[in-house]
Amino acid sequence: MFDLIVFLVLLLSGFVIGNLVERNHYRSIIRREAQLRNLLLIASKKLPDEFMPCTTRMVAGNVVISVDFFKKFVAGLRSLIGGRVSSYESLIDRARREALLRMREEAQKAGAQYVFNVKTETTSLYKGKRGAIGSVEVLAYGTAVTLANQPSMKAG
Amino acid sequence: MEYSNPEIPEGINASKENPLKEFFLLLGGIGACIAATIIILSLLAGRLAVYIPFSTEEELVAGGILPEDEGNPEVSAYLQGLVDDLRDELEAPEDMHFTVHYLNSDTENAYATLGGHIYMFRGLLELLPNENALLLVLAHEMAHIKHRHPIIAMGRGVVIGLLLASITGLSGDYFVGQVVNSTGLVTLLAFNRDQEREADATALAAVARRNGHLAGSEDLFKILRDLESRDPINPPEFLRTHPFGNHRIENVRELAQQNHWNLEGGIIEIPPQIQKLVAESELPQ
Repeated sequence: MFDLIVFLVLLLSGFVIGNLVERNHYRSIIRREAQLRNLLLIASKKLPDEFMPCTTRMVAGNVVISVDFFKKFVAGLRSLIGGRVSSYESLIDRARREALLRMREEAQKAGAQYVFNVKTETTSLYKGKRGAIGSVEVLAYGTAVTLANQPSMKAG
Repeated sequence: MEYSNPEIPEGINASKENPLKEFFLLLGGIGACIAATIIILSLLAGRLAVYIPFSTEEELVAGGILPEDEGNPEVSAYLQGLVDDLRDELEAPEDMHFTVHYLNSDTENAYATLGGHIYMFRGLLELLPNENALLLVLAHEMAHIKHRHPIIAMGRGVVIGLLLASITGLSGDYFVGQVVNSTGLVTLLAFNRDQEREADATALAAVARRNGHLAGSEDLFKILRDLESRDPINPPEFLRTHPFGNHRIENVRELAQQNHWNLEGGIIEIPPQIQKLVAESELPQ
């Protein structure tokens, strides 16, 4: 009985607080993405010839987000029957976009117009301990490119 | 060359659906599946367990795994006398033996277990106002044995325990395991309450045959009801091993009406020397 109450309180607070945090985070992500849209991310690692001369430097963004109790529980239920673990998808989506944003912010501070060779890496922390709330780390990195002349590519 | 990082619509990489919808669908679906599996397995276990001979039950507990008598031999002999008296009224099979033990403990309970062993705690015996109520307690425990409830419960316990442990192990999540186990427990408790109702009905019939009436039987359930209300947690019925005392009283009245049993009649006191021995046995502790 006591266990049940503790469990329900954890579940409810996980849902309410987790949901609130997630919504706020998404709002911030969407706003900052709009601000930084002109700083282009490019997956290719080869710089076009017309970019020369330019200066390049490494930029990186890193974020760790914890899963809340509610998400973890829903994912645990999901693991019994399989299928899309949508409770973790939003977590990974937020982490990836936040990491890219932090990388872009760093590139912007450096005065870059582009980030080339953009890569992300995802790691889960705390996964070994039974019952522990896990968290996810996403690292985004790339090569920031600052053109010496006006950019020849039109920003979208 | 034109290149841009357009705004990507939301809801592609992360689902836009309300997480509560997924939660309730999963919880309801998995809960229903587990409950259905447990109900099927429990029914099968119940059907099969009764084919285990009673002598096997006796052999199972012969190794001294049950508690020893720790009370007074005179009290035990008195209780055994009542049990032997009820035996014929219960129409129990010939090969079934009933042995009653008296345990000197404050626990307000009595239980029946494998091999026809019945345990009566001092705590409950002290609460009983008369021999009529005591007879009903003993008849109730004997009815459990007659209906093979202990071996059925054990069979169920083993099968369901195995099932739940497998699911819990597969899920790997501690709290999912807890929920799965609780679902199993709640389902098993429903079977437990069915057993209690069956034992009540058989016991009432046996006592009615022996005494010619059921006077004092409501006293017993009133005592049990008071015990329930004293419980600081007092969980709802679906989390209980026994039906509520009030429901059992209603059941007594219903059964009495159906079977034309008289609820009024002579009340027999528990012999004073037994009461004295029980009261004295409490002192040394």
